[in-house]
Amino acid sequence: MANWRGIFRRWEPQDIAPVVSLAALIVFFSIAAPGFFRWNTLVTAMQQGAVLAIVSAGLTFVLLAAEIDLAVGAVALWTACCCGWLFQNWATQTTEGRFVASPGFVATVIVLPLLTSLLLGTLSGFLTVQSRLPSFIISLAMMFISQGAARYITRGQAFRVPELLNYVGNRGLEHEGLTVVPYSAMLAAVIMLVGHIVLQYTRFGRYVYMTGGNRQAARLAGIPTGVIVTACLAISAVTAGIGGLVNAGRMTSVTLDQNQDLLLSALACIVLGGTSLFGGEGSMGKTLVGVATFTVLNIGLNSIRLDDFARPFLMGVILLASLLLNAILSRRQQWS
Amino acid sequence: MSKPLLECRAIVKRFGGILALDRVDFDLYPGEVHGLVGSNGAGKSTLMKILAGAIPDYEGTVLLDGQPVNLRDPHTALKLGIAMVYQEFSGIGQLSVAENLFLGRQPLTKWGIVDWRAMVSWAEEYLHDLGIKLDVSRRLDRYPLVVRQMVEIIKGAYRGARVLILDEPTSALSPPEIERLFELIRRLKSRGVAMIFISHFLEDTLRISDRVTVLREGRRVLTRLCHEVTKQDLVRAMVGERCEEMAMADQQVVTLPPPSQNPPVLAAEDLTLRGVFEGIRLQVAPGEILGLYGFVGAGHQELVQAVAGAQLPTRGRILLDGQPLPLGKPRAAVRKGVVLVTADRAAGLFMRGEVYKNVTMAYLEQAVGEWITARREVMAVQPVLERVACSPPDPWMKAGQLSGGNQQKVVFAKWLLGPVRVLLLEEPTRGMDIAAKEDVMRLVQDLAKQGVAVILASTEPELILRYAHRIIVFSRGRITASWAGETVTKQDLMRAA
Repeated sequence: MANWRGIFRRWEPQDIAPVVSLAALIVFFSIAAPGFFRWNTLVTAMQQGAVLAIVSAGLTFVLLAAEIDLAVGAVALWTACCCGWLFQNWATQTTEGRFVASPGFVATVIVLPLLTSLLLGTLSGFLTVQSRLPSFIISLAMMFISQGAARYITRGQAFRVPELLNYVGNRGLEHEGLTVVPYSAMLAAVIMLVGHIVLQYTRFGRYVYMTGGNRQAARLAGIPTGVIVTACLAISAVTAGIGGLVNAGRMTSVTLDQNQDLLLSALACIVLGGTSLFGGEGSMGKTLVGVATFTVLNIGLNSIRLDDFARPFLMGVILLASLLLNAILSRRQQWS
Repeated sequence: MSKPLLECRAIVKRFGGILALDRVDFDLYPGEVHGLVGSNGAGKSTLMKILAGAIPDYEGTVLLDGQPVNLRDPHTALKLGIAMVYQEFSGIGQLSVAENLFLGRQPLTKWGIVDWRAMVSWAEEYLHDLGIKLDVSRRLDRYPLVVRQMVEIIKGAYRGARVLILDEPTSALSPPEIERLFELIRRLKSRGVAMIFISHFLEDTLRISDRVTVLREGRRVLTRLCHEVTKQDLVRAMVGERCEEMAMADQQVVTLPPPSQNPPVLAAEDLTLRGVFEGIRLQVAPGEILGLYGFVGAGHQELVQAVAGAQLPTRGRILLDGQPLPLGKPRAAVRKGVVLVTADRAAGLFMRGEVYKNVTMAYLEQAVGEWITARREVMAVQPVLERVACSPPDPWMKAGQLSGGNQQKVVFAKWLLGPVRVLLLEEPTRGMDIAAKEDVMRLVQDLAKQGVAVILASTEPELILRYAHRIIVFSRGRITASWAGETVTKQDLMRAA
């Protein structure tokens, strides 16, 4: 009995608002751009949104714990650069310029950079907890460090990445020679699903919410809030790394201009979905809605006839409008 | 005597149906220090808030220099020369002493820029006149609390305030610091500044004031010259003469039960948090409710926080079953069953989260297991919510939607899910109505009967006398008295504090 009430109660105005925004955008673009409402658009959306979804999934943990990670874009870049650098320097090249790589080697050049991102995330978490500085500051420094390291090892050059990443970034399940579900989207779906299960059904997930919702109460209840914060930042760094690798794979090589908008786009996605910047409120499902909204907006604006230079401006205006809508709807119920 | 500077005539203030002030008269002469004392809820702060303009809708008249005035907001009160110096608000620490003194009215050069040199020299001069030597360009937060309080007081006087309201100015000060503060008060007095001195510390009040007024339950019960009254008289006036005939008679004289013969479960040895409490030694046995009484700032509330690990003591040991408990680690304490209920419910609850999430927070594994689903949690939570008589007993509500009393019940429910051995209560019933208070305290008694050791820290003597089996009184961070197995009265407690 009580459970049924709970299920209905879980849908509150601020939960529905992001879904309404998303639906409104889809309806709008379907009318405004004739070629929009097609399976093909969905495939494009999945391909474009995958990296964003992967990175946002990890960043959601950080925001739920009432922290912030400004280093996601830079860590993504570093991980990809590290992978490319290892790959080009260690792989043997044939006379035609092709790289020969055994599966074990590919696994190494993918896993090793991911380990470095894990290390970076753990380090910024550790420093945040120990120094009692806001994660804003620590991750800002981490951003410069990762970016600088990427610049240093690549020296501004483009680096090839393993074929596997190309494959994940550009191919998918096919039907009559056309991609139906991109592998990158499947990877993103797996990551988000795991994230969702961890957040909703494990003690760790609940501790993340409690740490973000009221850190003092959580601490007094015996929750190891320092460990939770560190873990969240580590998770965010690893997903950023995976996102960076997939992105490099899509482009077949890694260059320093990649992942520049990643941080802000991911933040925008999470907040668009209705997750609070102040911690304790939100979910992986909301982040998914946010990523979908952001991607639809991006693709939609590209599919209507519009001055190219006006697009970022319009994007900003629509983003602002939907964020304000969410904020107004959620302000209806507030308690001290 | 000359004409009164400030006169309150028949002030009445109601909060809802409750009469907070009942035709209170109060007057203040130029250059006078008028002490104002009374128990919690006697109406002291209400009266002062009216004078400071924070409560505009009162009945009765306030006269300043014989003229009726309308104290409609704090700004008006300040303009009329009434300034309030709050206990906890002591200037802006990041600014210099001089900047604090001139806050909002800095001297300007002819170019419209802050005239730093004039500011510093005027500030120095003014402080010097009052016998205070300070480097006025140093940041305020580099100075001890007493200096900050003095700067705040001087700021009021410097701006032409003729009436200064000092709220608990000595509660956090050591004896020599109090001496410095009193010296300043005497100097301001000689300049004709009138002060209202509100305090729980009766000795301090009697020493510095010319006259003293006692409020009890919103009524003025006594106004006398200070050299005509003793501390005993004040306590009697605060507690009430008619205690025998009053319903609360049983709370006035209490015979404590014989002390528990059980070996102590928890003991504190030489526990010290510098500047807050010093060398505390106490122990509590299973099934025993140990009451810690003291005024705000006496250190007993911080002590229970320190035992729970919420504060890190400077020195000392806490022993649980004879084994040392790691200090400053709430997680270790909770795991061993040493748990804290704070006065500030916002510190114990995730207000935006559902009740069931708040209840399962501490003992998630024991109550729900590895795999967490809302269904399992609600099933675990429902019985404890009913046991604490939370109303409504609805686990799906947000904690912030409940009333204060029910929020506290949720905090208790949280600890009922785990193996609690020592329950630490810091002012557990603050701001609750009588029914909720009874519910919560009955729960505490039930837990004690089941063998939980309880430490109850409170500033309400009634609460301590009614529920404690053994009583310890704190004053200025030290234990000043203790009672076990004997008769004790409210007067005894207040005299020791």
